Amino acid sequence: MTEKVKVRIDGEVIAATAGQTILEVARTNNKYIPALCYMEGLSTVGACRLCMVEVSGVSRLLPACTTPIQEGLAVATTSPQLESYRKMALELLFAERNHVCAVCVSSGHCELQTLAQEHGVTSVRYPYSYPRLSVDTTHPRFVLDHNRCILCSRCVRTCAEVEGAHVWDVAGRGVGSRLVSELQRPWGESTSCTSCGKCVQACPTGAMAEKGWAVEEMTKRRAAVSRLTSMREGE
Amino acid sequence: MSTGVVTAVPRVDDQDLIDRIIGDHAGRPGALLGILDKLQDANRYKYLPMETLEYVATRTGIPQAQVYSVATFFTLFNLDPQGTHTVAICRGTACHTRGSRALLERVKLQLGVGEAVDGAGKTTMTTADRRFTIRTVACFGQCALAPVVEVDHAIRGHVKEQVLIREVETLRKGGAR
Repeated sequence: MTEKVKVRIDGEVIAATAGQTILEVARTNNKYIPALCYMEGLSTVGACRLCMVEVSGVSRLLPACTTPIQEGLAVATTSPQLESYRKMALELLFAERNHVCAVCVSSGHCELQTLAQEHGVTSVRYPYSYPRLSVDTTHPRFVLDHNRCILCSRCVRTCAEVEGAHVWDVAGRGVGSRLVSELQRPWGESTSCTSCGKCVQACPTGAMAEKGWAVEEMTKRRAAVSRLTSMREGE
Repeated sequence: MSTGVVTAVPRVDDQDLIDRIIGDHAGRPGALLGILDKLQDANRYKYLPMETLEYVATRTGIPQAQVYSVATFFTLFNLDPQGTHTVAICRGTACHTRGSRALLERVKLQLGVGEAVDGAGKTTMTTADRRFTIRTVACFGQCALAPVVEVDHAIRGHVKEQVLIREVETLRKGGAR
């Protein structure tokens, strides 16, 4: 039984189905909310904090990707406060790792870069932490560059939920968090990896890429992963 | 931190122990935490060897990456062998202002260990003879007693440098456990 609810997004009255999240309702109605860790077809984690929205009657900001819709909810997807927070979140992502667009395979096709351009991030106000990070080139077809990873965990969820292999997970915590395959084995020596490459397609940045591409050449087919899950729904 | 491919399997009697502990927790949600806790406790050097983690993953069906993720998230899980005695120095704000950095540096000097921060960002140092492990803690929640040091699971408050040195020296002279 699907219950219909009415909500307001940026003043416009929209009919939605109970159980949907604010982000899903907004996207299906052509209302734009930025997001990095959200991907259609995957579970939601609310990690990137870019989809924060204002909900009337709630004093704090709520992540649109994990907040279920409710009857009579009034959502503002943009405001000066939200803009400043989103910009801050982006700048902190850049400060946390060594993101150098000029030498990145995904430059021009990178979701982080695109969002930074959209939000007018021309400089980073915070000190860069310049962590010493490795690049895993052990896989015959793919490469993992921790310098470009934003820990959105899309690859983790894609591998666990779509492929069912669960090769990836995030180890450690806080600023020491790192993406690991199995028991911190090199990717190429992983026994559960099927080399399907869906994690690479799901990655929003150049952290995961196919080998053999030069700067700006790595384009990704992110929609393919989402389409796969929507096609399976009827089964 | 141990890295690289794991090929070794736990010894047979260890396998029995792991199987038994897993059996005790079978089917319960969130069982992994309890399993790892019991296994670390049963380990002679109070740590979780890579082959144990791999074996747990195989027996429980929990993906290896997830087991590793849990084992590295909680600072009380150790992936390296621990010393017989543990000195945990609080590096919280209250203890810091009361001179816990000096205590840490002094004990490090006394036991002759260098700086070691593992991938998860926690500081633990074990002496080469595995008799002492020094670790830092974010806060014991005993800020009124700052600076706080935990020696072999006993909390000491208002710790002075000389007192701590003497205590560590006593443990050192106490011989191997």
